[in-house]
Amino acid sequence: MTAQALNKIRVLELTTAVAGPVAGCVLADMGAEVIKIESPGGRSIRSPGAPPPIQGAPDHPYNRTPFFNELHRGKKLLSLDLKHPEGKDIFVRLVENADVVMENFSPKIVGRLGIDYAELKKIKDDIICVSMPAFGKTGPYESRASYGPGIDAMSGLSHLTGYPDRGPGKPAQFYCDQNAGLTAALTVMGAIRHRNRTGQGQYIELAMLEGEMQLIAPALMEVIMNSRSPNRIGNKHERFAPQGVYKCKGENAWVAITVRSDSEWQSLTELMGNPELANDHRFSDLRARQAHHDDIDKLIESWTSTLTQEQAEGIIQAAGIPAGALLNLNEAFTHQQFLHRNTLVHVEHPEMGTFPHTRTAWRSRNNNDGVSGPAPTFGNANSYVLTDLLNFSAEDQQKLKDRKIVSDAPLG
Amino acid sequence: MITMTDQADDTKHSAILGGIRVADLTTGSFNYAGRLLAGLGAEVIKLETLDGDPLRQWGPFRNDEENVETGGRHLHLDAGKRSVSVDLETSEGQSIVKDIITDCDIVLESFDPGYLDTIGLSFESLVSSKTDLIMVSMSHFGQSGPYKDYHGSEIVDVAIGGYLRLTGEPDREPVKPYDDLVIQHTALHAATAAMVGIMHRDNTGEGDWFDVAVIDAALFLIGGPTQSYFFDGKVAQRNGNRLLTTEPRYLYPSTIRPCLDGYVHAHGNNRNQDLLAALMPGIGLETLFETPMGNADEIDEIMDTWLSTRDKFEVVTLAQELRLPFTEVLTPEEILADPHLEERNFLVKLEHPLEPSLLQPGQAALMSETPWINRRAPLIGEDTDEILEELLGMNENDRTDLRNKGVIR
Repeated sequence: MTAQALNKIRVLELTTAVAGPVAGCVLADMGAEVIKIESPGGRSIRSPGAPPPIQGAPDHPYNRTPFFNELHRGKKLLSLDLKHPEGKDIFVRLVENADVVMENFSPKIVGRLGIDYAELKKIKDDIICVSMPAFGKTGPYESRASYGPGIDAMSGLSHLTGYPDRGPGKPAQFYCDQNAGLTAALTVMGAIRHRNRTGQGQYIELAMLEGEMQLIAPALMEVIMNSRSPNRIGNKHERFAPQGVYKCKGENAWVAITVRSDSEWQSLTELMGNPELANDHRFSDLRARQAHHDDIDKLIESWTSTLTQEQAEGIIQAAGIPAGALLNLNEAFTHQQFLHRNTLVHVEHPEMGTFPHTRTAWRSRNNNDGVSGPAPTFGNANSYVLTDLLNFSAEDQQKLKDRKIVSDAPLG
Repeated sequence: MITMTDQADDTKHSAILGGIRVADLTTGSFNYAGRLLAGLGAEVIKLETLDGDPLRQWGPFRNDEENVETGGRHLHLDAGKRSVSVDLETSEGQSIVKDIITDCDIVLESFDPGYLDTIGLSFESLVSSKTDLIMVSMSHFGQSGPYKDYHGSEIVDVAIGGYLRLTGEPDREPVKPYDDLVIQHTALHAATAAMVGIMHRDNTGEGDWFDVAVIDAALFLIGGPTQSYFFDGKVAQRNGNRLLTTEPRYLYPSTIRPCLDGYVHAHGNNRNQDLLAALMPGIGLETLFETPMGNADEIDEIMDTWLSTRDKFEVVTLAQELRLPFTEVLTPEEILADPHLEERNFLVKLEHPLEPSLLQPGQAALMSETPWINRRAPLIGEDTDEILEELLGMNENDRTDLRNKGVIR
């Protein structure tokens, strides 16, 4: 076992949806003890259609949501009713023993639960608190509810994604959530370092919208500099042409190509068996190729459609030009480069068996364990927290369970 | 609006990465990693060629007139950095860069894998003069493995990363995400890795080398469909603006639909689907919620009728009153004009000598005790003299000599 950057750091995670759990998952991957606190009522992203349990495992469908488990790998789960005064007391005692409290509830819920930074600082002076509100704790949209894709809509990302001749689009599954989650992990580590050096805790406010605006910056600057609001440009590129996805031989087969220079364009025309195109004035430089992009696309596609997507990738790459077959997810999983990088880590879950988890995008010599363990089953850390950390007797724990302040299975 | 002076003069706080020095050799959107570390207070030295980082040639430019000092991307992604302009293709330039790195805590780079080795700046050779160095290398496919020498670009990386097929309409070709979305996300992973390296070094005294790949960031962004596939064998396919699932009982809507004056993001309430029927009453939605995702086409059709007579702000206001997380689809122009950003002082004026009144995006995070540093981007080679003198002890004669030989600018 190699050293871990966040050894001995304890994080209390009061999160929902995706962004907060992503932040906790990165901290857990790097060695922190992350205790997620869930209400005894259950969880928010327990999706329908759970896969069957492995043989011999109890049938608890609530423990078998693949995405929830991906986002909670390596964490512990305490099921605790924070709305109950005794539940709140337990939480307070946990805060005394924690380094970080992370939440991504709406500001209204945080206020109602009495777990905002001002309150928690009274409990532990050097606590580090992180909020991840959709739009921020101030401003006209402070009280608006939104998930990640709704923030993509307001940031301009949806407007800028997709085909120019169709409506706004969505990039794959989520963007805003992972962006905010990683930014939270980055700033939390920074705040821990600051505390280690100065003894001072602090409050981090990470408005998901503002994290996303870091990406939208080029479009914002276009508006600010030139009073022009940019539109989506599909698969084209502002500085390289041609660029696109081109049909290949077979069903649903494509290759993505980026031509970065005049000389790459010349090489491509040679591969296409059409070197005279390089002298065609319509395609002679970037601007000309951008102006006649659709004509070029047809010419390229008439060539790529005679090749499989793997053949096209190989031939074009060999000429020094970026090209890639469009892999289906299952093809990516078995792709030799992903296998080489161990991007997917197979971890054994007690009720689901072994399945893969996607690591962060870095590999290193000393912080390379990737995923630190499987996702927790519901309430799996109840006993650890109450017995080991807080010294509750077995009798008192039973009372908490009888009164539904703590639960070993979702209630209702 | 906050000006540079307001924040730079804030002396009661010391920055999170105060005292940490970073050599930033990245290009393009990979520059976001150094921008983040500068925001957290590190001294980030951008080491760029005599012509400047090619990022500087990438617009937007005011009036579309290219100016390597004032491109929108450069001003944003290089904010808070210093610049040393040095020719890495010369042996003297290589030696200067090596000496600067030896005085740094972190190196960020995004060259083709193996390039630094050819100029004597591999991790192994750097770590022999700076044993606790933290190096973060970003590349399209990674530093080793069968694809390490493949040529990448945003669209190619997301093609191989399984991401591109997941974006776009089912009846059309896949379409790439906006701009350099995944490359910039890779840079965020890289900044986080650098911080992991700092934490590890604080604990152990050891350095580390981080190998960050764009294809990995692409797969990381995909999330759930990866895990679902291993259980149900269904390979996710692009699904327009809907979530990537075919499970009929899954919550719907989470999508974008047209309304009177544009588009809205429509979203059901996870805990109470009937709220959507309450928003759009009497038109039959409530009969479709047993299998919302399975009835997505029908739900769209019914919602569209209701939405077609209302503008986006009205729709969102009514929905949010019911705790339905609807939002407006805004253009960049609209979000910039929105009072929300202004009230949060998100846009900052950084007093660039050539763009003194330009506003640009500010903080990625707000911290109560440590500042987020917004300082203007540097001119090409603006800090060459100072840093060569400060760090390497080179006097004016040495520098003039190097300048005459075309090694520095």
